[in-house]
Amino acid sequence: MHNNPILRISTKILFAPIILFGLYVQFHGDFGPGGGFQAGVIVASAFILYSLVFGIETGKKLFPSNINLILLALGGIIYGGVGIVSMLLGDEFLAYNLLGSSPQSGQHIGILLVELGVGLTVSNVMIALFNAFASYDNIKEK
Amino acid sequence: MISELLINAFLVTIMLSIAIALIKTRTVIFTVILTSAYSLVAALMFITLDAVDVAFTEASVGAGISTILFLAAMAYLPKKEEESISSEFIPALSCIILGGILIWCSYDLPEIGQFTAPIHQHIAPEYIKGSKEDIGIPNIVTSVLASYRGYDTFGETIVVFTAGVAVLALLQKKDPAKKNKSQPKQKIRKNA
Repeated sequence: MHNNPILRISTKILFAPIILFGLYVQFHGDFGPGGGFQAGVIVASAFILYSLVFGIETGKKLFPSNINLILLALGGIIYGGVGIVSMLLGDEFLAYNLLGSSPQSGQHIGILLVELGVGLTVSNVMIALFNAFASYDNIKEK
Repeated sequence: MISELLINAFLVTIMLSIAIALIKTRTVIFTVILTSAYSLVAALMFITLDAVDVAFTEASVGAGISTILFLAAMAYLPKKEEESISSEFIPALSCIILGGILIWCSYDLPEIGQFTAPIHQHIAPEYIKGSKEDIGIPNIVTSVLASYRGYDTFGETIVVFTAGVAVLALLQKKDPAKKNKSQPKQKIRKNA
């Protein structure tokens, strides 16, 4: 597929706006529709599009597998970590009131961090799944 | 009211025709594409119900990423589905009976959007009030998802994580063997 100029150029043009839109959905989820799950999928789709057009090995150079796996676990750790921090501050697990100076700002910080954890895990799981399926063929041939 | 009915009838007709086409088709790629189209119509259906967040998820996950993953997995399947030998009478009969029971039960459901329905009386008013006063976030869906029901979302994230790790564990078994083979190849390419 990487010999088609239309695909190559439109992928290069679209890559950054897709990620920007993903970030918008991620961090604007408090005010409009969106959140970690949707944003994670959108960001993952940008990387998958890149891998589809330029080949899986080039995609892995852009986003190495080991970083992918670390971020995959980091999302869950962030989510659980917010819960544990709120416990250490003397509240219940995943109660965000004490995270900020006032209960409302605490809730804002908590929701932002939790959504970030969800987004990280979802996007990296999607990229890892695609990479696993796309490179499986080489493994089987051997 | 009439326009709403027309839109719903239009969407249901499209969904039904996609479902019938899905039964008829025997080519795997058409099945994947039709499933994606079905998800897109379902997303429109959610918009008519004013569930924008769900519609967004359905469009991005159902129609978008799962189609790509299906296509990536499809490469390992035979191109055509085999004709089933067993009779299709009993599955069709059980589907019709189940559908009939569901339609019959749906007459007991309260009307959509009716304020006195039990679901709107139980805990929803507290969430709607609390989202504005305690959390200060305009999008109630986000405050329910991330704060009031934080445990559930934590569970969902862990489920996604576990599913991803399980697939990786299944597919990446022979990875070291592959690395040994592909490394010399790259060296040759660099020299050339």
